[in-house]
Amino acid sequence: MLNVLFIEDDAIETMKLNRTVSKLSIKHKITEAKNGEEGLEYLKSDAILPDIILLDLNMPKMSGIEFLEILKADPVLKYLPTIVLTTSENRADLLECYRIGIAGYVIKPLKYEDYEKKLASVFSYWENNELVKA
Amino acid sequence: MENKEITLLKKALDRQKKARQQAERILEEKSKELYDATLHLKETNRILENLLNQKSKQIDNAFVNIVDPYLIMDLKGKIIKMNSAAEEFLGFTKEENIKLTSLIHPDYKEYSKSCFKSLYATGLIKKFRPGIVLKNNELKFIEVNGSLINDTSGKIIGAQGVFRDITSEQEMKNLLDSQRQRLDIIVEHSPLGIWLSSSDKLIKANITMQKMLGYTEEELKSINPMDITSLESLQESKEYRKKLFNGEINDFSLVKKYLRKDGTHFSAKTTVNAVRNVKGELKYEVALIEDITHEIELEEEKEQLVKDLESSNKGLQEYAHIVSHDLKSPLRSISALTTWMYEDYKDKLDDNGVYNLKMMQDKVESMDKLIDGILKYSTIKSDNLDNSIVDVNEVVQEIKDIIFIPDHVTVKTANTLPTIYADRTKIHQLIQNFLSNAVVHIEREKGLVEVGCVDRDTHWEFSIKDNGVGIPKEYHEKIFKIFQSIGNKERSTGIGLSIVKKIIDLYEGKVWLESEIGVGTTFFFTLKKQNENTTSN
Repeated sequence: MLNVLFIEDDAIETMKLNRTVSKLSIKHKITEAKNGEEGLEYLKSDAILPDIILLDLNMPKMSGIEFLEILKADPVLKYLPTIVLTTSENRADLLECYRIGIAGYVIKPLKYEDYEKKLASVFSYWENNELVKA
Repeated sequence: MENKEITLLKKALDRQKKARQQAERILEEKSKELYDATLHLKETNRILENLLNQKSKQIDNAFVNIVDPYLIMDLKGKIIKMNSAAEEFLGFTKEENIKLTSLIHPDYKEYSKSCFKSLYATGLIKKFRPGIVLKNNELKFIEVNGSLINDTSGKIIGAQGVFRDITSEQEMKNLLDSQRQRLDIIVEHSPLGIWLSSSDKLIKANITMQKMLGYTEEELKSINPMDITSLESLQESKEYRKKLFNGEINDFSLVKKYLRKDGTHFSAKTTVNAVRNVKGELKYEVALIEDITHEIELEEEKEQLVKDLESSNKGLQEYAHIVSHDLKSPLRSISALTTWMYEDYKDKLDDNGVYNLKMMQDKVESMDKLIDGILKYSTIKSDNLDNSIVDVNEVVQEIKDIIFIPDHVTVKTANTLPTIYADRTKIHQLIQNFLSNAVVHIEREKGLVEVGCVDRDTHWEFSIKDNGVGIPKEYHEKIFKIFQSIGNKERSTGIGLSIVKKIIDLYEGKVWLESEIGVGTTFFFTLKKQNENTTSN
């Protein structure tokens, strides 16, 4: 089971992820954060660190990239594999994210069925990975 | 009268006699003296004549020996003697009694007068250069060197002179003068500042140069070229000039800052050339100076504009991405909600409800494509072309693998396609647009789409030929405009061919089509061959 921090401002996107995860055989633990600040707050709290982070890029207040920069500058948090989950096909964003350091860049497909499939494969990939575990 | 009286008279008579005798004797003596003097005079005269003859002979001999024309004239200018060279040159003989002054060309009368005046004053005439008209009316230029002739008492009796035909010399000089004048005109009217110097001393600075610097030529002559060089350019200038002086280089060009007399600056393109003597030593430096202050300002302005344009372009692209993201996100939500509506309520929905949900999905999909298209269209720009070697055969194969091709349609290449130097993604985009258009518009039983290419020297000419429905003539222009869709297919966004057109424009090519209703359509496009060694803009 994966302990996932899901940083996303859009309510329907959160519904999409939860619905997708609910259909998977393994019940992953999803912690929601509505933006970068909330995400950081959670990470700095006493809560157990997540195994992976799913991060949206376009968010109000602190954007995904800003969050990523703070995360990767932190001596402990920088080990958290972060997968970007975005609608943005902007190559500049993609390059910037890889420059700062990400574990994956997943583009949200238009159709929900496609989204389900894509996310299922992302989860199964990370299930098979050895994780840092705090 | 008595004896005494007689005696007295006799005595007186005797005295008179004696006095007359004495007078006669004196007269006789004087006559003799006179005679002797005359004789002496005669002798002297004879000696003198001899001397004169001798001199004349000597002069005559000299006359013969003088190759240059030589003549003697009296005070009235009449020629009294001349040698054969003079006769030959002037075309007159002495017997014609020609006055030399009458030969002088009217333009030289005043000049001659002043020269003669100085001859009388100094006794000499040197380099007197009049124009004279010969017997045959020919104008000649001569140079005369001469002197006055005095008699023994110092009285001026005439003048003698040797002259030389300097006509060709004069003509040459006139020619040189006129050429020099022309050269001067060029130099003085040049928009470039021209500076000629020799070992740091100015020889000439043209008017442009003087105006640029605000100094007169005289002032410039007293200063060193480094005095008008601003501090920033001093080091560079010095290094170049050292090399020029050492013979390492023969010319140099630099943009340097000059200091005007009033202390202001200007930037000028300066080209300095060395003129060397046979030993290779620096004799002159010629500098051409072009004030480029204005050009520099323009250049700076241009740079600023380009910068502004770049940032506004970047802003626009950024904007396009943001807009596209913000439009696409809700579409994803709608798509998800529609799917859930179906998944969660399919038991409660009738056929019409299911159909409407499907229609909703389709509309969302076409809108998503449109947004993608607009984003692609707005981001096709020359500055992000990533050119590499592209095998077009491979590209066509890739496209065949990913696009939807109806079962009845075959896509083949008419000939082996070339390997070109271009941006692979763009070429892919380009051909994919044509191919996906072509394959879906074929209604006949066996559809065929052929991709071909012809080498047109400077360009590659590609063709995509189908045997589809054909495009009516009135749409041939229209279809390349953005958002113009003429197909009946629901999914045409109308942006595809505008993207095509934009890419072709980037490669300085053209696009056109030939079409016949019911027979088929051939799209043609050309791409300019790119030079692999230069980065394409």
